Amino acid sequence: MMLEFRGIRKTFASRRGEVPAVCGVDLEVREGELFVLLGPSGCGKSTVLSLAAGLLKPSSGEILFDGGLVSAPGKKVFVSPRERNVAMVFQSYALYPHLDVFGNIAFPLRVAGMKEESIGTEVSRAAGMLGIGELLRARPGELSGGQRQRVAIARAIVRKPRLFLLDEPLSNLDAALRAATRAELKRLQRALGVTTLYVTHDQTEAMTLGDRVALMRDGRVLQTGLPRELYERPETPFAASFIGPVPMNLLDAAAFEEKGGLYLRIGEERFALPPGTAREVRRLGTGRILLGLRPERMRISGDPGPPAFRGIVATVENLGRERLVTVETGGGVLAVLTGEEAPKEGDVVGLALPLETASVFRPEDGG
Amino acid sequence: MSGERRIRILYALGAAAMAAFCLLPVAYMLLVAASSRPDVLSARVEVRLTAAHFLAVLETGSLHFPEYVVNSIAVSGLSAVLAVALAAPAAYALTRLELPGRMPILFLVLSVSMFPPVSLVSYLFRMMSALRWINTYAALVLPYTAWVLPLSLWILVGYFSRIPRDLDRAALLDGCGRFAALWKVMVPVAAPGIFSTAILAFIFAFNEFLFALLLTTNQNARTIPVGIALFEGLHGEIPWGMIMAAATLAVVPVVLLALAFQRRIVAGLTEGAVRE
Repeated sequence: MMLEFRGIRKTFASRRGEVPAVCGVDLEVREGELFVLLGPSGCGKSTVLSLAAGLLKPSSGEILFDGGLVSAPGKKVFVSPRERNVAMVFQSYALYPHLDVFGNIAFPLRVAGMKEESIGTEVSRAAGMLGIGELLRARPGELSGGQRQRVAIARAIVRKPRLFLLDEPLSNLDAALRAATRAELKRLQRALGVTTLYVTHDQTEAMTLGDRVALMRDGRVLQTGLPRELYERPETPFAASFIGPVPMNLLDAAAFEEKGGLYLRIGEERFALPPGTAREVRRLGTGRILLGLRPERMRISGDPGPPAFRGIVATVENLGRERLVTVETGGGVLAVLTGEEAPKEGDVVGLALPLETASVFRPEDGG
Repeated sequence: MSGERRIRILYALGAAAMAAFCLLPVAYMLLVAASSRPDVLSARVEVRLTAAHFLAVLETGSLHFPEYVVNSIAVSGLSAVLAVALAAPAAYALTRLELPGRMPILFLVLSVSMFPPVSLVSYLFRMMSALRWINTYAALVLPYTAWVLPLSLWILVGYFSRIPRDLDRAALLDGCGRFAALWKVMVPVAAPGIFSTAILAFIFAFNEFLFALLLTTNQNARTIPVGIALFEGLHGEIPWGMIMAAATLAVVPVVLLALAFQRRIVAGLTEGAVRE
């Protein structure tokens, strides 16, 4: 199924007046796709999910399922959640505590009036897919977090929904379980081929799970694209700092033209720009810019050729496989993610700047 | 003697004193009901135990005690069921729908129960007479329901607002309408609250005296408290033995109810619903 949002706005009434939660969102989730909504808490991503489910009515705009309107306040169209055939996995799992696992998974089928014999087969099929066939007689209160999560997913997939909504489904699991469940969710979604909208604040989940990702902030979608595109070509400083294993380094720089070449001045130093990055800077216009450099593309060495900074190592953090080093330079404090042997705190080092893969932003777009 | 031990003994003594204080009237009631000569205020009378008063209460047709028991249970039961049946959807609406003025509504409802019953009863009598409802269950059930409804609503709003919102959202997505979500998810999950509300309403109606006294004139709908109060001996004397025996019997249903549902009331059914 294809899901579309056209100019969706949602404001909540509160004592302080109207509070906007979603301010004009356009989205298109394609047939069978796993689409991730990524953003910090309070950015409106869960509201988008509730709007798709029909738990909330938009203030304006249109929501379409396969081209048919399901929410359109302007045209007085609203299809209730139960008529949408949408399934949702909640962050809190929201299992029915008075029913056992079988009763929980069977609940949507019973409400739909399916015959008891068919319910039995459907429930064991869904439970089998998630490896919880042994737990059917247990109560939610007796299950671990991971098991509850599986029950919640089984309840969502058992009736073959048109649209599958997941609201931070992994955030209550511990790290090891989270990675395993993430892989399993991806496999399950592929196997079922159900169009899926997945909400998370965790960029790793977004990068690993998403066919496409939309980055949200303050009720707006900032950028939509393949995970790789968001990582390689962030369009805003916010995207640059939010996506990636560690936030991107952002440096204040001045771009200027000299003898036909384009140069950057950062602090006291000046660097010639490689052609690709120069094109990007020309598009923005010369003057003050923000230069974004990925910590994982920076390199520490004793004496690198230009473009490079010299600086003093401020901190070294061991992250296991890699080390996060911060270096104080003439251009500011820069973070470097390195798998190699790291220098010690206080060492004077050279820092090679990967200007050919740098991102450039207008400073007024914020950090 | 260690300090901890002394504290424990003091606790036990305090508890015993409290229990004695509360149970003394009950003990007196049992004693009078079961003694052959209920003139216990006179110290020189020897006490002999007997079941005669109990048998008399149950068998003397002119006392109508069995009818009163049936009436009491029916009136109280109907009032409790009706109060919960009306309060549950109201509590659901107040906790789950986007209603303006939630608190004003709740306080307005509460204010209804602030009227002293005495101020209402004469008007109720006129109304019930005009409707020809005197000596019917309806004459008691409707005022009782109205009287316990605010309390029931407040208790249920408290219970419902503690049930995670995601639970009824899940129900709505799983294909339930609002009423199905209320009936299939909220009510079972709030069962302890529903039961305690129903029992409170039941006990209130079971003990109520004033309305029952004025809105009934014979055994058709008269309830136990009024019935007992109007017991009369053959020669106009007050039959203390039978009064106390009837009171003892009247306590039984309430005690049974409390024992039967104690577990359900205490058990926290929401455990495991969501991750806290």
